[in-house]
Amino acid sequence: MKIPIWPRKSTDKAEEQTVEEAVLTSEKMQSINLNAWFSDKHVLKNITLPVKANSVTAIIGPSGCGKSTLIRCFNRMHELVPNSKMSGKVLLDGKNIYASDVDPVLIRRRVGMVFQKPNPFPTMSIYNNVAAGLKLTGAKKGRNLDEVVERSLKQATLWDEVKGDLKKSGTSISGGQQQRLCIARAISLKPEVILMDEPCSALDPIATAKIEELIVSLKRDYTVVIVTHNMQQAARVSDFTAFLYLGELMEYDGTDSIFEDPKNELTEKYITGKFG
Amino acid sequence: MARLLDRGLEQLTVMVYKSGEIAKNAINLSISAFMNSKDVMDDVHDLSDVISSMTLEIENKAFELIVKYQPVASDLRIINSYMKIAYDFERYGRYAWDISFTHKKLGGLGECAVASDLMPKLVEKVSEMVSKSVKALREHDAELAKTLADTENEVDELYFSYLNQLSTARAQNKCVMCNLLVSRCLERIADHTTYVGEAIVYIATSEKISLR
Repeated sequence: MKIPIWPRKSTDKAEEQTVEEAVLTSEKMQSINLNAWFSDKHVLKNITLPVKANSVTAIIGPSGCGKSTLIRCFNRMHELVPNSKMSGKVLLDGKNIYASDVDPVLIRRRVGMVFQKPNPFPTMSIYNNVAAGLKLTGAKKGRNLDEVVERSLKQATLWDEVKGDLKKSGTSISGGQQQRLCIARAISLKPEVILMDEPCSALDPIATAKIEELIVSLKRDYTVVIVTHNMQQAARVSDFTAFLYLGELMEYDGTDSIFEDPKNELTEKYITGKFG
Repeated sequence: MARLLDRGLEQLTVMVYKSGEIAKNAINLSISAFMNSKDVMDDVHDLSDVISSMTLEIENKAFELIVKYQPVASDLRIINSYMKIAYDFERYGRYAWDISFTHKKLGGLGECAVASDLMPKLVEKVSEMVSKSVKALREHDAELAKTLADTENEVDELYFSYLNQLSTARAQNKCVMCNLLVSRCLERIADHTTYVGEAIVYIATSEKISLR
């Protein structure tokens, strides 16, 4: 199989979305035979995974199994890494986000990302952290911007804690608050999907609980994909769970089934801590 | 390397097996005494008390493991099922005591003027089911556990036939009352062996089935 190399400008008609694909994808997103490489290292192998709308999908697996790479392929961030490659498709509402006519910047707006470590813009106020994306795109101004900032902070359950301190630095608040600020920043752009890469790994249990409550509430309006090393967290917040091992999708099912009765022996061993 | 949870699971397993053996002994003691007209009420009562205390200990241990290790998958199925099984063993013990109590108050089978051959058959079947349930548990043997369903049907048939026989007995004497109560206990023990069987099937296969 020929592996496309970035930047990829495919004119192959076979790469375009087919009617069958559109019908198949009642899911919000879906990867089809997705492969990814860092130089020669093959890190994702033929991943076909649905992401159902208005649900939380957890990606679990041992370190280095390709979890983060997978979600970075979901919003075309993988291609920003030098010497990275990918093949296969990722459908968003049935349309391949890697098709030649798709703008990756637009994809990243529709599919937002929250990272492991809270990363508010350090020189910006709380208000400007949320407003930054909107200002950059020129989408909102003045009163409209105030409304979006307030709504985003409310959705991120941070408004009540910071409404009197909007001019303070985004880094002046606690780690848990900073992570919710980053979620507010992602929400402000009205994404359809929110990807979260171990969003609680740097937080204490109280802050973690708040983020988990937030994740569950977010699925009313968004589709959420979360990468986590914490099995209990995956069990608590997600509706579906995918287990990756050495770059392969070993099992995907409802979270209850995965944690009560995994069908794959490796999944059983991993979630019960017998390896990993 | 063994997980910390493994040590706790081993302890829990030993406790449940021990409880099962004591429950089996309590039933065997009470029904053999009933058949042979011996008074063992105090001994069976003591055994029943031991099983009740063990049930509480098993419950506490299970909670401790859940709190400490948040088990999932097969670990969780085992812990959840052991808690259920411990309760069923407690019921074995309680029914064993009920049999010995009934015998003491109303007399055993040997004191009945005309004994039916149905009661020994019922006793034999239930005793077999109890042994089988404990053995299936030790071996996590789902297939053996599933065979309890057939024997349970036989017990039900015997029980209802016996009830019919007793209900048409001319003399409404102590013997009839005693046999009614004891056969009821035996039928309930048989039911509980099937609950144990269902839990074993769940541990071994994750299937949730009914054996009744």
